[in-house]
Formats: sequence, structure tokens, C-alpha cells
Amino acid sequence: MLDNYSSNATTAKIRAKYAQLFTLDEYRDMAALRSVPEAAEFISRSSRFREAFTEVDPNTIHRGYLEELLYRENFETYIRLCKFQGLDKVPFFGFLIRRSEIECILSIINRINSSLDRTYLSDLPGYLIKYLSIPVMELSNSQTYEELVAGLKGTRYGRLLGRVPVREDGNADYTECELRLRTDYYAELLEQADKEFGGAVSDELKTMILREIDCRNIINAYRMKAYFGFEPDEIKRRSLKFYGIGKKNMERLYEAADAEVMMDMVNHTIYGKNSPDTDNIEVEINSVKIRRLRHYLTGSTYAPVSLYAFIQLCDIDVSNLVTIIEGIRYGVEAAAIEAQLITL
Amino acid sequence: MAIEKMALVNIIGRFEDLDETLMRCCDSGCFHIEPAFKNEANSTVRLLNEKNPFGVPLKEFASLASEMDIKLTETPSTRFKGWKAEQFNELSENIDSEIEAKSKEKQRIAKEVSDLEGAVLQVDHLRGMNNDFSKIFACKHTACRVGRMPADNLAKLQYYDQTFFFVPFETTKDFCWGMYFCAEGDKELIDSIFRSMFFERIRIPDYVTGNTDEALKKLDSQIKEKKAQIEALDKEISQLAEKHDQTVLEAYTALKKRYDIFELRRKVGAVKEKFYIKGFVPKKNADKFSEGFKDMDGVEVVLLPADADANITPPTVLKNGWFTRPFGMLVEMYGLPKYNGFNPTAFVAITYTILFGIMFGDLGQGFLLFLLGFLISRKINKPAGGMVTRCGLSSMVFGTLYGSVFGFEELLDPVFENFGVDFLPLKIFKQSTFILLTAVGIGIFLILVSMLINIGIGFKEKNYEKAIFGCNGIAGLVFYASVCVGVVCTIMLKIEVMSLPFKIFLIVIPLICIFCRVPFSIAVKYKKWKLSEDEEDMTIGGFIVENFFEMFEFLLSYVSNTMSFLRVGGFVLSHAGMMMVVMTLMDMTASAGKPVTLIIGNLFVMAMEGMIVAIQIIRLEFYEIFSRFYESDGKAFEPMSVSFDTEVNV
Repeated sequence: MLDNYSSNATTAKIRAKYAQLFTLDEYRDMAALRSVPEAAEFISRSSRFREAFTEVDPNTIHRGYLEELLYRENFETYIRLCKFQGLDKVPFFGFLIRRSEIECILSIINRINSSLDRTYLSDLPGYLIKYLSIPVMELSNSQTYEELVAGLKGTRYGRLLGRVPVREDGNADYTECELRLRTDYYAELLEQADKEFGGAVSDELKTMILREIDCRNIINAYRMKAYFGFEPDEIKRRSLKFYGIGKKNMERLYEAADAEVMMDMVNHTIYGKNSPDTDNIEVEINSVKIRRLRHYLTGSTYAPVSLYAFIQLCDIDVSNLVTIIEGIRYGVEAAAIEAQLITL
Repeated sequence: MAIEKMALVNIIGRFEDLDETLMRCCDSGCFHIEPAFKNEANSTVRLLNEKNPFGVPLKEFASLASEMDIKLTETPSTRFKGWKAEQFNELSENIDSEIEAKSKEKQRIAKEVSDLEGAVLQVDHLRGMNNDFSKIFACKHTACRVGRMPADNLAKLQYYDQTFFFVPFETTKDFCWGMYFCAEGDKELIDSIFRSMFFERIRIPDYVTGNTDEALKKLDSQIKEKKAQIEALDKEISQLAEKHDQTVLEAYTALKKRYDIFELRRKVGAVKEKFYIKGFVPKKNADKFSEGFKDMDGVEVVLLPADADANITPPTVLKNGWFTRPFGMLVEMYGLPKYNGFNPTAFVAITYTILFGIMFGDLGQGFLLFLLGFLISRKINKPAGGMVTRCGLSSMVFGTLYGSVFGFEELLDPVFENFGVDFLPLKIFKQSTFILLTAVGIGIFLILVSMLINIGIGFKEKNYEKAIFGCNGIAGLVFYASVCVGVVCTIMLKIEVMSLPFKIFLIVIPLICIFCRVPFSIAVKYKKWKLSEDEEDMTIGGFIVENFFEMFEFLLSYVSNTMSFLRVGGFVLSHAGMMMVVMTLMDMTASAGKPVTLIIGNLFVMAMEGMIVAIQIIRLEFYEIFSRFYESDGKAFEPMSVSFDTEVNV
């Protein structure tokens, strides 16, 4: 078991890095820019991304590569923080690598289902390759779901996906695959949080993970209700079976008459308090999530808690930057871009 | 020691006089402008948001100066008085036409140099290639592309089925430079694969021939040749610059002023065909300011009382005497009082000076501080220097009382003996208890004075909660003073004053008043009973819980604020202690080193202790004293002005 106080330097380092995240004013300044090169220039001047942009010319950078660089910096920050005090030797800290593996597998399944097989290789983020435990480049050449499962043989993903029934057209239900992979991911994460850390660290980690799952479930349930008109039982079946606010409370949300009623009910839970007035469910729920993550990051002295919270905040930061870049690219008004940002 | 009285000024006039009016407002040096436009649907005053016509010529002259390498300095002249933007444009075009040809030629060659340098940078990464560029690109059946791609993506190449091969030349942290070859017929597909991996193609210029080394040599000689041409053109341009530099400088100075004045129109309102300017001038300057516009027939200046317009708050200018003026800096640092509010500068000046003297008492060091203050006020910062001078004097006075001169504690003993004063000098380490108790006594006195000031302000504002029932009002004053008297009499003087009536009337009743300050003040003011002024549905339970915690905080603040003044005594001891260390070190050094030790020791103590004491007193002033009565919600007086600047942000 990791000594809770042996990784204080990592906590201090994370807090210092936290100060480098973009502020609301910086988002606003960036959203007011007129072209992607200007946005790239703006990002390249920031202390968080300066190093990652040293060899890049902001005037000629491809928009896709710009976004990939942002995600790469997030991933490398995570790797650097894990290696800083040798935390990468503790299984829990492999969470981002496992999450990235799942994202890659799901992308490949999605492309196979859409008859775009063998196209993932070009889009596969190159920086991930050396860290993943699965042969992702061979897998991206899979033409059928069975080929993919065969390629994953011997891994936990292979066992999980092998149990998903294959349809007549040779494809598997994407949602079912996602549910199984994510359920296994979170179950393992919660178990590791329990076994590898004790007392308060374990409690704080588990609370944070369960709240992350709640947010994911609420957003998905809202979409299923609002855009697909799914029945409560179907929503329950397609949601992750972990609950931060309790099973009964979450099921009550699923059983709401419609999406609007559901959001009213969400506003009376911890995920609705002080949330900004917006129509975008992701912005609404994730804004509350940010507050909680910041609370953990600034209040906790435990490296696992700080790191887990920090990585999520980095993800949100980059997702905001990508939203702004896309907004600028399509000539969206600065105010409209700002409305799509996940901030406090 | 109050706050400068202001007059509200309304200026109305015809648009043709607007620039002249704004210029005169700036030149007066005492006009604080307020936005005349209000963003309301039914407002008759509209915003003047015309484009500044002087922006373009200003930019033109700045660029002319930059092209001719003229350093922009303020050069006033009457030559351009009354000139319109078009006239400035015409002048800049005339000058520009003379240098345009040469300047364009220079730019063209500079662009060529930049391209050549870019090509050097690209070709430099292809050092691994020893074949002639022209031969490779001349292949008919093979397409080839030179460029770079993210190094992370190199591993993916072997997983593509298509026929191509990539030759890497150089790999840096992020990128791999190289070229790929493919069949001419497949090039579109292969190009799209490489594009999806963010391959950035480099187009090698036609003039780059031979292998890499040969190409680099050729490029280098071409760059040298072009740079020599640029130098020759620079000489010709500088000759032209000498001819025009005076005109450019004068025109730029005049334009900058006109541009800045035009920018001030953003605060000017327009009513039908007339402009409308609103602002404040100090009352003592109001008549002189008004007279400045007498010769302008179309402009009318109306002086009104400062509070005539309820929508705008008059700015605050502290009115201080010669002794207190430097301490205005501290008050401004905390925040200005509101207009018609209380100016605490005199109180700060007196308490700061005395506390500094007590905490840093040394005749010699005080004298040095006094001299240093003079130097600072002359050379660096007048208010800061003034504060140091006053603190130095105070330090000298208290240093005399302590009998301390540069750490020599017995030097003044014979002087006091000669005068027959036997209770002086104060021997700090022998009378440490007395010093600490005196410090607390000073604290109690200052807190009581702060409360009295608060009571005065409260009555002036007709704020009964603040004046009577608050923790710094009469109730708080009675409670705090009674507890202090009770503690001093019972513990130190052994006099039993804490009788039942004393406890009930001087402690319990004031505490009840503080606890119920909100309903009591509402009862006095509105003659009705309400638990809260803002919350309609405040319950008794809620009221008790809220006020219980607030009471707890008040009581804690009485104790902590009083104890905070112990630091005054603490620093007296610490100063004496540090000087004792200096003396001990001096005794330990050889006789030749003694003066050096004494000087360095004194300088060290002065710098360190002086700064710490200064900061600690600011802390006492801001937290212990200001928090009891001072509200810094004033607005600074900012006279309208334009200043010369070489930066053009148009």
C-alpha cells in the first residue's frame, strides 16, 4: 500500500501545474480571435503548451494536428507526473492508459460498424502507441468485429468483447460494447482505489470516481430521453451500474416523465447546485463537476486524489480549447463560443 | 484634514468647438470627466461613437518614422494648429511618395532574403540527401515529396498496404524530416494518407539546385549579396530622413494629441446638435476653470453642487496638511474614503509616526533614517521620503527616551543624570513587563479612539446600527471599555469593581444591544419591529444562530485586536536584542574590525528591522484600526490628460 504522505511532492507539483490551466479571461480572449493560426499562436504562448509548440509554426499548423498536440500534452503531463515519484508502478495510476485503450477499441468498433474499417490507423494518436498494452496498429486494420476480438485475444478486453453477441451482419452493438468496457474499467478502478490505498485516500478517490460515473450517466440518460425517447428501463439497462448519489435517486431521474422534468430533478441534486443557466447538458453538468474537482485538487493532500482530479480538469481545459478552435474555424460569435465552454 | 470639496461641471456647446473644449479641459489639469452617455432606451443623450479620423494619419506618420529610422520624441510646434485629418494625410502622402520607391525596393529584397533564409532552414534538414534535387524532381514515373511529419506517426507507416517508401533524413523531438516516393499514378492516394498523418510538404524553390551542400553554399552567397543591396538602400533612405525628420516629429506630436483628444469623445454625450460633457473640478479651481471658456461663445460652462446629479458619485481628493500629506499614500493604498466621508490620514499619520518611534527607537539610526527620507523625497518618491523623514524624527525622540544611540545603551546616561531625570532612560530589558503592558495599553487606547470615530461617522450618516448598537458603536465601546477597566482594576490594581450593577449595566446590556443591533436599529429608524432589514422571512431561530456566531466573532476580535498590539512591545525588545547581538559581535572582533562590525550591524538592523516594523504598523493600521470605522468606497480623482507615446494602438 502506498504511503499517503510519500507523494507530497507530486501533490505540490500538481498544484503548481494547476495554475497553468487556462482561465475564463484567457478563454474569452482566445474566443475573440479571428483565425485558427491566431488561436494556435495564442496557445503556443501559454506556459502550459509553450514547450509542446517549440517546433511548430502556428501559422502553418494543421488544425487537426493542433488539437492532437493539445491532447498529447495532456497525456504527457500525466506520464511525467506518474514518473516523477515512481507512481506508475502502482496499478491504479495506469487509469489514463486504460481509458485511452478503451477509447481506441471503441473507435475501431465504431468504424467497423460504419463500414469505415481500416481507416483508424490514420487517426490513431501517434503519441499513445508506445504506452498501450494492446497491439493497436494491428487492430486498426481489422475488417470485422470478430477479427478485432481475435486480435484482442489474451487481454481482458478480448474476454469482455468476446461475450458480446455478434449480429447477423457480423457487427456487434456499439452501446453494449461500450457499456461492458466502461463497467469493467470503473469496477477495476474502484477496486484498485480500495485495495491500493487506505482510509481517506480510498474514500475520496471512490467518491470522485462515483461522481464522474454519475455525471456520465446523467448526460447519457438526458440524451436518451431528449433525443431518442428511450423508456426508463432501456435507459437503466444502458447505464453504468455504479451510483454516487444512490441507486434509488439515480433511478428516479431515469424514470422522470421527460428530459425537462429530469433536469428539474437534477437541479435538486448535488449536480444541479449553482449550475449556470444553459441549454447544453454537458456544460451544465460538467460545470458542477469542475467545482468538485477543484475542491478535491486544492483540498486534498493525497497524490492519487490530486492526480485523478487534475487529469480530468486538464481534459476539460483541452476540450474547451478545442471548442474555441472549432468555433473560430466556423466563424461562430465569441459569445456563442463562450456559452459552450465548461467553466465555473 | 478633510476631503476636497468638488463642483459638478456641465459643459454644453456646438460640435465645432468640441475638440477645443476637450483640449482646454485637458490643459486645465483639474477636470475629472464622467461618461455623459447613459445606456437607457429613453435617454435623450446619445453616444458619440464616430471613427477617429486622426487614427490613419497617426499610423502613417508612425510607419514613416519607422521606415526612415526616425526616433519618435515629443516635439511640440504650433505649425499644425487647426489642421484637419485630410491635411495630415496629404502631408504624409507627399513625404511617402519621396521614399516609396526606395522603401518598396528594400521590402522586396528583404522578402527575398527571408525566402532564401527559409529555404536554408528547410534544406538544412535534408543534409542526409546527397543527390541532385533537380534530378529527383525530374523523374517521370515516380512522384516524390519532401517535408516533415510528427515523429510519433513514423511507427504507423509499416501498417499501410499501399506501395510507397519513406526516407527519413533527420529526426528532432517532435518531427521527422524526410521524403517519400510513390508511383506517379498512386500519388493522390498516398498524398492523402500522408496528409492524414499531418505530413507538412516543403516546396523546394526552383533556384535550389545540386545536392544539399551545394545548395546551401549557393543560398548563402545569394543572401549576402541581397543584404548588401539592403544596406545601400538604407543609406539613401537615411539621407531623405534627415530632410524630413523635423516635420515628421512635429506632425506626429500634434497628431498624437489630436488623436487622444478625439478618443475622449467616448465620454461625451450628444443632445441634438450640441455636445454635453459632465465632470468634476475641485471647488477652489472651479471659477478659474469656468473663466478658461469665456472667450468661446458657443460653449457654456455650468457649475453645480457636487451632489446635484444623483447618478454620479463625486471623486475623492484627500486634503492633508504638510505633516500628514505623505501618509495619504497609505490611505490610498487601502482605498479612498467616499466623498463626504471621513479622511483618516491625520489619524494614520500620528499613530504611524508614534508607533514607529516606539518600535524602532534609536537616536542614531533615527537620524540616519531622517537623512535617508530627505534623499528619497528628493530623488525617488516624495511621499515615501516624507514618511521616512517623519518616522526618523519619531525614532530619534523615542531613542532618546530609551537612551540608545546606534546600539550604545549607556551613551545618554550622563546627559539624563546632569538634568536630574532619574526615571530615564528606559532600560528595555529591565522594564520589559512595563513595555509589554504599555503596548497593550496603547492598543486599547487606539481601539477606543477608533470606536469613537466610528460612532461619530455613524451619527453623521444617521446609521444607528453603526453608531449605537454595533460592536464598534456605543454598545461596543461601553462593553470593551468596561471589560478593560474591570480586568485592570481586578487583576493589576486589586480593586473589586465587578459588582452586579457593573456587570449588568456595563457588560450584559451592551452585549444584548450588540446581539440585537439589527432589530433595535430598525425600531429606532422605522418605529417597527423586524428581525432583518433584507430577509423578510427571518425566523427567531435563524436570527439567534446567525447572531450567536457573529457575537462570537466580535468577542474574539476584541481580544485578538488588543493582543495584536503586543507586537509593539515585542519589537521594542527585538530591536534592543538585535543591537545587543551587534555589540557582542563587535566585542568579539579585533579592534581594527570593530568599526566595520558596528557599521554593518547597524545597517543590517536598520534595513531588516526598519522594514519589518514599517510593515507591521501598516498591518496594525489596516486590520486593527481601519476595520473598526473605515469604509474605502471612494472613487479616485483622475484629471483628464493626454500624454505623448510612441506606441500606436489604433
